[in-house]
Amino acid sequence: MSQVTRKEGILMDKMGVEDVIEMFESVAAIFAEKKEELCEMDAAMGDGDLGLTMNKGYAALPGLLRDNSAEGDIGKMLAKGGMKMSSVVPSTMGTLMSSGIMGAGKALKGKTELEPADLITFYRAFADGLAKRGKTQLGDRTILDALDAGAVKAAEVDPAEGFLAVATAAVEGAKAGVEATKDMIPKYGKAAVFSAKAKGVADQGAVAGCYLDTAILNYFQAKNA
Amino acid sequence: MKKIINAPENYTDDMLRGIYAAHPEVTYAEDDLRCYCIAKPKPNKVAIITGGGTGHLPLFLGYVGEGLIDGCGVGGVFQSPSGEQIYNIAKQVETGAGVLFLYGNYTGDIMNFDMAAEMLDMDDIETRSIVGADDVNSNANPEARRGVAGIYFMYKAAGAKADQDGTLDEVLAAAKKAGDNVRTVGFALTPCVVPEVGKSNFTLGDEEMAFGMGIHGEPGVWNGPIKIADELAEESLDIILKDMPVAEGEEVAVLINGLGATSGEELYILFDSVRRYLDAKGIKVYKAIVGEYATSMEMMGASISICKMDDELKGYVDYPVNTPFICQK
Repeated sequence: MSQVTRKEGILMDKMGVEDVIEMFESVAAIFAEKKEELCEMDAAMGDGDLGLTMNKGYAALPGLLRDNSAEGDIGKMLAKGGMKMSSVVPSTMGTLMSSGIMGAGKALKGKTELEPADLITFYRAFADGLAKRGKTQLGDRTILDALDAGAVKAAEVDPAEGFLAVATAAVEGAKAGVEATKDMIPKYGKAAVFSAKAKGVADQGAVAGCYLDTAILNYFQAKNA
Repeated sequence: MKKIINAPENYTDDMLRGIYAAHPEVTYAEDDLRCYCIAKPKPNKVAIITGGGTGHLPLFLGYVGEGLIDGCGVGGVFQSPSGEQIYNIAKQVETGAGVLFLYGNYTGDIMNFDMAAEMLDMDDIETRSIVGADDVNSNANPEARRGVAGIYFMYKAAGAKADQDGTLDEVLAAAKKAGDNVRTVGFALTPCVVPEVGKSNFTLGDEEMAFGMGIHGEPGVWNGPIKIADELAEESLDIILKDMPVAEGEEVAVLINGLGATSGEELYILFDSVRRYLDAKGIKVYKAIVGEYATSMEMMGASISICKMDDELKGYVDYPVNTPFICQK
C-alpha cells in the first residue's frame, strides 16, 4: 500500500492507491446526489434508469477498488474494479462506464502512484475505453461527447500546474461538451426514437459524464483547500 | 406457458444444477454456476471459450468437452454472460497456451467478451476472438450476420486444432476457415416462450410458418402458409448457394438442426430433400449431421447449414469428440 504522505498546507502532487479510492468516493457522492435528476432527464428521452445505473455502479465501485488494491497497482485495481462494477450494473450504460474505468486501468497499469500527467492520461483512456466498447463516435450525442471534450481540455494543461489545474480544465471541457450535444441528433438507444424532442436539450448521458469530471474536481478542491 | 420448471426466475440456475449433478466431467469456477468449465483442462492446450444466453441447448455449454472447447459463460435466457464471468472461466481453464473466444455475433456478447479479453491482457494472457455469423438471411453484409447453428463447424475446427496442439493463431485460423465456409438458413413453425416473459416471442397462425427468423425469434424474410420439405430445402439452398457458390463435384457437410420441438423423423425427411437437391447439382455430401445442435427452447422448426469441405476441414469434422451432450467416435 503506498499511501503518499503530505505535509499540511502543501498542494497534493502525488496520489496513492487510497487517494484514488477516495476520489471515487467523491464520484459516488455526486451520483447519489444527482440520481433523481438524471432519472428524470432520462425518462424524458430514454429508459429512465440512467440515474439508478450511475448511482448503483459508482456506489459499489470504491469497495470493489479496495477489494482489488492489495497489490498496490493502481492500474490493475481500476481494471479489476471496473470489471466487477459491470456485473453490478449489467446494462449498456453500466458496461460503458465500467469499460471507461477499465480503459483507464489499462493505461495506468503498473503505477503505484499517480502524478498530474497520469490524471491527463486517465481522462483520455477513460473516454477511449468507453468509445471502443460502445463503438461510439464523437458527435453521436452520448456521454462520450462530454468525456472526450474534458480529456482534450485536460491535455492542454501543463502537468507542472498540478492536479487541480488539470481537473478544472477537464470540467470546463466537459461542460462545453454537454452544451454541444444540444445540437446533436441521437443515434443510439431509445433516445434515437425521440430525436425530434432532443433538439435544444442536452444529452443526459453527457450530463452524467460532466458530473463524473465535476466529482473528480470536487475531490481535488477538497484536498487542496 | 407449459414448461417443466420450478420457477421462471430459476430456469437457468436449476438447469445448471441438474447438468453439474449429472455430469462430473464439467464444473464451475469462482462459486458461480454460470462459469461453466471442463473439469480437467488439458495442459498447454489453447483454451477455447464460448458463451451466450440460455435457451439453445446443446448450444453453447454442450460443446464443452474433449476434442471441442473448454469453457462457456452461461447467460440468463437469451442474455449475455458478464465480462467478469467470461474472465473467471478463462482464468480457470487457461493452461499457458492462450485463449480463443469463439461465440455468436450479438452486440451484448461482443461487449462482454471484449471486456474479458481486456482483463486477460492485463494479466498477460493472450486472447483472440472470432464470432460465428452464418445466418444468411439476417443481413446482406456477411460481417453483420447473426451466429446460429453453423458455429458447430467452427467449434469442431478450433477444437480439433487445439487438441492437436495447434498454436493460438493456428486454432483461430481453423475456426475462421470453418466460419468462412459455412452458411445457414432457418425457419420456424411455432415461436418459443421466454420463461420470465411467459408469452410467445412472436405469433404465427396454425397453418403459418416464419422463414429466415433468428434463434431468438428475430423477424425473418416471410411469414406465410407452411411449405413442404422439398420446397423448404430448395428455397433455403438457393439462398445459401447464391451467397456461397459450391461448384459441381465439390463436397459439403450438411447440418440439419432441429430448433427444439421438431421430431427427428422430420429432420431426416428434410435431410433427404436437401440431399436430393444437392445430388441434382452434382454436389457431394461428405458428411451429414442430423439432430439438435442449436435450439430455441421449444420452438418448432429447423435450420440447414452447408459447410464446404476440403481435406483440412474434413479432418476437423471427422475428429472424435466427447462431451455430455455431443459424442462422435
